[in-house]
Amino acid sequence: MDVNRIQSSPVVKKATKNKIRVDFEGRTSAWERFKIKVFSVSFLKDVVWYLFRLILLIGISYVIIYPFISKVASSFMSREDFVDATVLLIAKHPTLDTYKAIIVDNEYFRAMLNTFILSASTAIVQTFITCLIGYGFAKFKFKGNKILFMFVVLTMIVPHPTVRLSMFMKFRYFDIFGIFNFLGGGVFESIDILKFTDISLINTYWPFYILSATGLAFKNGLYIFMLRQFFRGVPDELEESAYIDGSGPFRTFVQIILPLSIPMLITVFMFAFSWQWTDNYYTRVFFTSQGPYTLRAFIKIPRSLDTEYPGQNMYVAAIRNTCGILIMLPLILIYAFLQRYLVESIERAGIVG
Amino acid sequence: MNIEAKKKKIKIDSAPKKRRRIASLDRRKARVGWLFVLPFVIGLVIIYLPIIYNSIMFSFNEINTLQGGGYELVPVGFKNYSEALFVDPSYVTELTSGIRELIFDIPAIIIFALFIAILLNQNIVGRTGFRAIFFIPVIIATGLISDIDAQNILASYMGDTGASIDTGTGRNTVAEIVRVMDVEMLFANMRVGSDLVAYVVNAVNNIFNIVNRSGVQMLIFLAGLQSISPAIYESCKIDGATGWETFWKITFPMISPMILVNAIYTIIDALTRSDNNVMTYIDQVYDTGADGNVISSAMAWMYFLIVTLLIVVVSGIISAYVFYQRRDE
Repeated sequence: MDVNRIQSSPVVKKATKNKIRVDFEGRTSAWERFKIKVFSVSFLKDVVWYLFRLILLIGISYVIIYPFISKVASSFMSREDFVDATVLLIAKHPTLDTYKAIIVDNEYFRAMLNTFILSASTAIVQTFITCLIGYGFAKFKFKGNKILFMFVVLTMIVPHPTVRLSMFMKFRYFDIFGIFNFLGGGVFESIDILKFTDISLINTYWPFYILSATGLAFKNGLYIFMLRQFFRGVPDELEESAYIDGSGPFRTFVQIILPLSIPMLITVFMFAFSWQWTDNYYTRVFFTSQGPYTLRAFIKIPRSLDTEYPGQNMYVAAIRNTCGILIMLPLILIYAFLQRYLVESIERAGIVG
Repeated sequence: MNIEAKKKKIKIDSAPKKRRRIASLDRRKARVGWLFVLPFVIGLVIIYLPIIYNSIMFSFNEINTLQGGGYELVPVGFKNYSEALFVDPSYVTELTSGIRELIFDIPAIIIFALFIAILLNQNIVGRTGFRAIFFIPVIIATGLISDIDAQNILASYMGDTGASIDTGTGRNTVAEIVRVMDVEMLFANMRVGSDLVAYVVNAVNNIFNIVNRSGVQMLIFLAGLQSISPAIYESCKIDGATGWETFWKITFPMISPMILVNAIYTIIDALTRSDNNVMTYIDQVYDTGADGNVISSAMAWMYFLIVTLLIVVVSGIISAYVFYQRRDE
């Protein structure tokens, strides 16, 4: 009997050009199906679990976002609001004075331009160089590959203060194996232009470029590691077919591998850019107070707001936070545009230890 | 007959030639590999190794800046080290408390990152939005911003969770939640050790800190979860495994290499980040000298040795339990 029911031809309810809606004779009614689906323990469990997940994620998102909200809220407060105990998030006397004072007195745009030039140029160099190095480590089996990679890991592990003094000394008295000193002191001493002794690269961008071009800058070990893992996942057949077609390794790299890894490159660029943007380690080592005016020097109390009054500590903190907001703003804009590449590249990278 | 013999001869002749050509191609490829990593090699030889060497030298010397440029070193043996350990008032206490804190933080960060990665890996409304929010700290809460946050006294007043619970003067949301939930009572009834209770309470209090520091770990775990084949889960489901069983029998072993990577990354990140207490202290010492204080170098090297030791121990412990999926290559 059942067999007969299934075999009987379905009733066509609606037929358009692309779709046909059919109804089988004697099919359980929609309400019945709905009831079976909904009034079951497993469905209930699923719903509860789903809601639990959602609430948890929303809660933790709140933990992440709330500091930003409070910072933004306090940046609009005027002095009176900080001594008023009833004011928590919404200012009673909203004002833009804090922003005005910071942007004008602290020369926000100058600091931002300087930092932008530094970050963008080093990020581009770092992305390209670490990509090159990561590809070399991933796809070529040469002698010393493993040992050399251990050195990459070493550059990641060594804490910054360990090399801080010698890093400063290296670029304060820049020299390569004493060659410059030898040339300057001995051979070319009489010629003014070629006097190579006592080259100080402090307060210039050169230390950043030199470190970036050699894959030693901030967190570059991590980028090399990430890119190595990524390139390991790229099938060898791609390159082999390119080699068979007569293309050299570098041409293969530029024409086949690079276009394929654009999401990953964007991710690395984003990391490099934003970590250089908020960097306070290398800028502190290489820039003294006479150095280029970057965002690190920009965090200070504007002259026009610097007065003593009760509750000043809160106000000072709010001003510093406002500086922080102004520093973050460009990063958040960049992140908003590029974050989908971040997730995409991570999904495709498949980092396996 | 003759022709065939000739053909054979040619074949025999050409065989070694061919082998040689393949070998040379491999060698050429190896050479090209060196070319690719050349920038790093140059940097290593010209800049990094001399810097490391100098840094070690500095820690055994005293430094004097010369008038005409350059500097001279006066060897003093282990004086800097003994001064750091025995004369300096707070180096040892900073170091021990820093290491203890770290050992407590590693499991909390890894468990949290794994948990969130699993949540973000499942289907849920607005998944991309949540992912974007969770990775914000990776990009933004570094360097300058974390410096500002560290000195942010306003946070406790505004009810930020970023402020520590001890300094908060009342309006601390997480503190409120902990008080309402009465976590300690909850655990006391479960008859687990009071240390564990203190640990969990501490972790909940530091949730903001932990969230901020587990972004990259979350990314690594997510990548790992993505690489597990859905077919395995499907077959588990067909065999009637519950979610709990699937997690412990499938997800956890498959993700265990990532746990190793993350443990090492967490140690490195925690020990080298600039708001670390030991790092700040070493920086302070550095700043007190006129042209850099060599004792800071000695301190930093001791610190580095401890970091390396910790990494070796932790990776040794974890790698004993890591499961590697056999891949046919």
